[in-house]
Amino acid sequence: MTTDPKAVIHVDRVSRWFGSVVAVSDVSFDIGPGITGLLGPNGAGKTTLLRMMTGLAATSSGTVTVFGQPVRDNPPLYRRMGVMSEHETVYGFMKGREFVTMMGRLRGVSDLNTAVDRAIDLVDMADAQHRDLDTYSRGMRQRMRLAATLVHDPEILVLDEPLNGADPRQRVHFTQLLQTLAAEGRTIVLSSHILEEVEQVADTMLLVVNGKLAASGGYRAIRAALNQRPYHVRVVSDAPRRLAAALVGLASVDAVHVDPDGALLVLSRNVLDLQIELPKLAQADSIRLHRVEPLDDSLESVFGYLVEN
Amino acid sequence: MGSVYLLTLRQLAGRWRLSIMAVLALMPVVITMMMLRSDNAASVVDFEQTVLGAMLAGAIAPLAVLAIAAAAFGNEVEDRTLANLTLSPIPRWKIVLPKFLAAITVASPLVAVSALLTAHIAFLGEWPATIAITVSMAVGVAMYASLFVWLGLVSAQAIGIGLLYIVLWEGFFTGYVSGVRLLSIRYHAIALMHGLDPRRFPTEQHVSLAAASGFAVVVIGGFLLLTMRKLRKMDVP
Repeated sequence: MTTDPKAVIHVDRVSRWFGSVVAVSDVSFDIGPGITGLLGPNGAGKTTLLRMMTGLAATSSGTVTVFGQPVRDNPPLYRRMGVMSEHETVYGFMKGREFVTMMGRLRGVSDLNTAVDRAIDLVDMADAQHRDLDTYSRGMRQRMRLAATLVHDPEILVLDEPLNGADPRQRVHFTQLLQTLAAEGRTIVLSSHILEEVEQVADTMLLVVNGKLAASGGYRAIRAALNQRPYHVRVVSDAPRRLAAALVGLASVDAVHVDPDGALLVLSRNVLDLQIELPKLAQADSIRLHRVEPLDDSLESVFGYLVEN
Repeated sequence: MGSVYLLTLRQLAGRWRLSIMAVLALMPVVITMMMLRSDNAASVVDFEQTVLGAMLAGAIAPLAVLAIAAAAFGNEVEDRTLANLTLSPIPRWKIVLPKFLAAITVASPLVAVSALLTAHIAFLGEWPATIAITVSMAVGVAMYASLFVWLGLVSAQAIGIGLLYIVLWEGFFTGYVSGVRLLSIRYHAIALMHGLDPRRFPTEQHVSLAAASGFAVVVIGGFLLLTMRKLRKMDVP
């Protein structure tokens, strides 16, 4: 694989197996400055991949380099990296500020007090900084962990499921913060199993399914690919047979099946058009729609489609 | 290095752990006092074998150190906080050495005070013997600490394996198989005691002071190196 000259993180044919279980299989990609979303269902291999990208885990084969250097067993490189794992890795007996200060000291921050103030302000935790970490909510702990990750002003941020436990206001704040940090030229890798979560913030996406890279690129292209996959939609109305007859005439509908309970099962390859046309059709024929629900909108089925295609 | 040391001190100095250690540490003192009050006062050889060898060096010191030193890395692995340290831009020895020193800082005062009081009472304030016993126990603590710090990093069952080691290896095999003694921490801690006060503790049955000191250096240095190697090679949870 050729290396992107702008690549900060270079993953080359990386595999990792645990006994007979293959967690990551022959994955290659480059990550440059900006926000990259690592997306995949639970158990897809995202965390294993992130752990190999940060040097926490060894690869079974293949190499990972960061700024052109091997990331594994390379402590000086960690001065340039900030890593936040999915686990709540805090010391409950410490106060929030104390934790950030200790992490700053470990990372060799020179003007420690100023750096700690700045990091805590960035995550909007100044009011709670003198409380014990044990007394924080999950969202607060996540934010203080993020402050500890940012305290040494790293050039690369690797964040594994950072929005776990965050409320909507914190999500908005977090999204804005990441965008600000990316605008300053940082390389940010963010993992999630929630498509919408990554879509809001990432410039580029890497989709991992069953340990393999299923797709990569801009989120619009991936979203478009997702919108073209066949969807099953269940429609409950007060006139199912009349609605079925009308639906089969739509270009966006491939097939319609009437269930014994009177619900319609609609197969569509253009769900965006169906979303627009179905209400119009019902209104024109004076049909009342009681319920419209996608049947295979789980992330696993979305990713499964991408892998098959 | 100071940050890791202070962090580990706070992790290890839990109230329940120190309380159990304090009770353990009191046992040889109480038993020595009981032996002195007994009508049939024990000989120096009996006292050495029972209280110093079997109890202090063979049970209390290793048990106390196991409870503390195995947790130096074991707790971090279990809580998944070890990545906070290994993702720091510091050489691995600056993680291992402060953890080892913190384990000694917490474990050695209680064992050393226990040894000092036991010796002071048993030998009626005879300082050379008291110092020899206290120093040898402190060195024993350091040897056990290096072993158990490593064990806490390599195994999630460090306490169980450590207990088996104390009972089977230090307690059983070294007592019955003479050659095995040369690989025993307890034996070399006792040998140090003999070397430091040969007047009170004859040295014929034991290796020399230099050999025992050399063994201590090899054990401590060897296990610290193994711990650093493991920290570099392992998948950090």
